[in-house]
Amino acid sequence: MRTDLTDKALHSEFRRKVEELSGQNLSDCYQCGKCSGGCPVEPDVKVSPNRLIRMVQLGMEAEALSSDSIWHCAGCCTCNGRCPMGIDIVRIKDVLRSLTKNIHYGRGSLEAWTFYESFLDCVRNFGRLTEIGLMGGYNINSGWILTNVKKAPWFIMRNKLGISPHTIKRIDRLQRVFKRIEEIEGK
Amino acid sequence: MKYAYYPGCSSEGSGAEYARASEAVLEAMGVELEEIDDWVCCGASPAHATSHLLSIALPAISCAAAEKQSLDIMTCCACCHSRLKQTNQQVKDDPKLRAQISEIIEEDYKGSQNVLHITEVLAREVGLEAIKARVRKPLKGLKVACYYGCLMSRMPEALLTDKSEYPMLLDNLMEALGAEPLDWPFKTECCGAALTLTQTKTVIRLSADVLQMAKQNGADVLTVACPLCQANLDMYQGEAEKLLGERFTIPVIYFVQLMGLAMDLDPKRICLDKLIVDPFPILAKKGFIDGAVYL
Repeated sequence: MRTDLTDKALHSEFRRKVEELSGQNLSDCYQCGKCSGGCPVEPDVKVSPNRLIRMVQLGMEAEALSSDSIWHCAGCCTCNGRCPMGIDIVRIKDVLRSLTKNIHYGRGSLEAWTFYESFLDCVRNFGRLTEIGLMGGYNINSGWILTNVKKAPWFIMRNKLGISPHTIKRIDRLQRVFKRIEEIEGK
Repeated sequence: MKYAYYPGCSSEGSGAEYARASEAVLEAMGVELEEIDDWVCCGASPAHATSHLLSIALPAISCAAAEKQSLDIMTCCACCHSRLKQTNQQVKDDPKLRAQISEIIEEDYKGSQNVLHITEVLAREVGLEAIKARVRKPLKGLKVACYYGCLMSRMPEALLTDKSEYPMLLDNLMEALGAEPLDWPFKTECCGAALTLTQTKTVIRLSADVLQMAKQNGADVLTVACPLCQANLDMYQGEAEKLLGERFTIPVIYFVQLMGLAMDLDPKRICLDKLIVDPFPILAKKGFIDGAVYL
């Protein structure tokens, strides 16, 4: 892919925003590729971690936010552990993910957002997560109704699913916490 | 020795046996636990993937409650541990963040208590010698592949003094029980973690690789200290078989369950019957259990 290296591309608003939100200096990355060498999901994605960083360096907002690589990231931190410059790459990916809220593009983004939202809705409503609530919410909202359904009998047989959600005592405070954060982040 | 105990959500669901066995082993070693009052979910990856502030605020609620108890925090789940520890560190280092978080959670929170993972408590605070002395039935001849996964080995502020690419904490514990920890290369490979629901194929491929490597190195069992690693490795052995064309029946056992077994604790408390791949055949073959007691 050809991208012209203009001053504007190198000092894009997008790059500035990612640097500010992640607290990382993207000029630190000199593209050694160690992150991609160790990445366990690299075989499944089109854009490897070092290419993703390059896209942000060059202000390629649409390409970076629509890449499948941010949704396949397992958050295993191998890239962070091996980066010779100590860049928190996982944090950068977190920032990129949070920037795609309400945009929903890129292979895997719908599933990931449904998972995040089902998970956090459960926490918001009960204070703790129940696997039944999470799987139910995910399978219904993502449209992948049968995800892991084959595994359910095992868990039921082994009595491994907490059926009734346990609500914490100070749930009202927790809901105020969620609300306050939404207000601060302007969502 | 007393800790503020953060059980984590999996302790009420798929990882119940891990929590129960941990409580039994700690009790046997004389470690007291005081459950954190009204703890809330740490938010795990959905929180830090969507909002940095939320990923700090959720663990902060539980950490602030532990601060009131004036106790260091101990948790069994590798993910909860990394979230709580990172939150604690960031709040301690950044006065501005501390003020903001205290305001959000309506409580004064300083980050003054340490956050420990159960492996650290057992291997360092309780000590390997004390554990060795408490073993009643050594696990002689049991080849154990210790699987650490990502969160125990690589998180920036994780188990600080262990080597991130070749940790030894679990191996040392297994050795203290008389078992044979294997020298194998996939100790810290990723199992796919929280992609279980969203990218199931990736999880199956990664878990299959770990299982295959354990099998090739002659492991009788895999041992883990993370509920998510356990679920992925245990649940997807059938799929791994389809993917790689070889049979897998490697029990994936929590390290505390093996400890409970070696210490001859009440079988009901170490819950070996909750695992998906049945561990009884191999344990009976090695002579560690009497079938009649368990069935």
